[in-house]
Amino acid sequence: MNDVEPRDDFERELREAMQRQPAPPSLKRGVMGRLWHRAERSHHRVLWWQRIAASVVLAGAVGGALAWRNAEQQRKGEEAKRQVFTALRITSHALREMNAQMAERNTKE
Amino acid sequence: MATGWRPDFENLVDEHQSMVFSLALRMTGDRGLAEEIAQDVFLELDRNLGKLESPLHALLWLRRVAMSRSADALRKKRVRRMDFWVEIEESHGARPEPAVSPLGARLEGLLATLPEAQRAALVLRYQEDLTPEEIAAVLDAPLATVKSQLQRGLKLLRAKAETHLKEYVRGA
Repeated sequence: MNDVEPRDDFERELREAMQRQPAPPSLKRGVMGRLWHRAERSHHRVLWWQRIAASVVLAGAVGGALAWRNAEQQRKGEEAKRQVFTALRITSHALREMNAQMAERNTKE
Repeated sequence: MATGWRPDFENLVDEHQSMVFSLALRMTGDRGLAEEIAQDVFLELDRNLGKLESPLHALLWLRRVAMSRSADALRKKRVRRMDFWVEIEESHGARPEPAVSPLGARLEGLLATLPEAQRAALVLRYQEDLTPEEIAAVLDAPLATVKSQLQRGLKLLRAKAETHLKEYVRGA
């Protein structure tokens, strides 16, 4: 059995029976369709990753903006408090001055 | 090794779909399953296109993968205890094309009743005209084993033909 030639009628009949059969037309259609779907799925996966990346960037930007706004409000609050204390100190100083002048005038009278 | 050969997937499908489908059909006996196996083989080919170096390499690769996927499918069928080869063959009309004689069609039906390993060797021998050495390479089996499977398979098929086929007269 070292060659591929049939040795008798039985092998010849067998070889004839075993000719390749034509593939159904749906085979190639199916292959191309499944390839298209695979490419489509891969494209959708890329799109999803892009969406996720964009969402992460957007969430970071919004979070950063909120944190900045909070810090800014706190800074402005501190500034306002400092200005109120300064005004109170000036008022207190002026009142002490007036009080001292009134006390001096009373002593002279 | 760069050979400069640029495989065209669609041409490869056109060229080899009949070979891949026929191998799967003769191994499984189920046209639907054979078509599914053939599609899987070509999808795997698409993933491995870059590794193929020549048209001959593509042909050998397709033959090997088609036989391997068919064996996997038969194994899965056995695991599910659904190995109704002959029944499926009859009910789904997995008949050879009209080009094959009625006697040839019945011979092919008898081939389906052989053990898987013997059937694989005979299919590669008589469908693909391969030598035992080439069959051993496709099935990744020792040459002596393949020769033994071919001889035993042919002997068994002859015996079945003499028993079941009245039209078959040895040496006619």
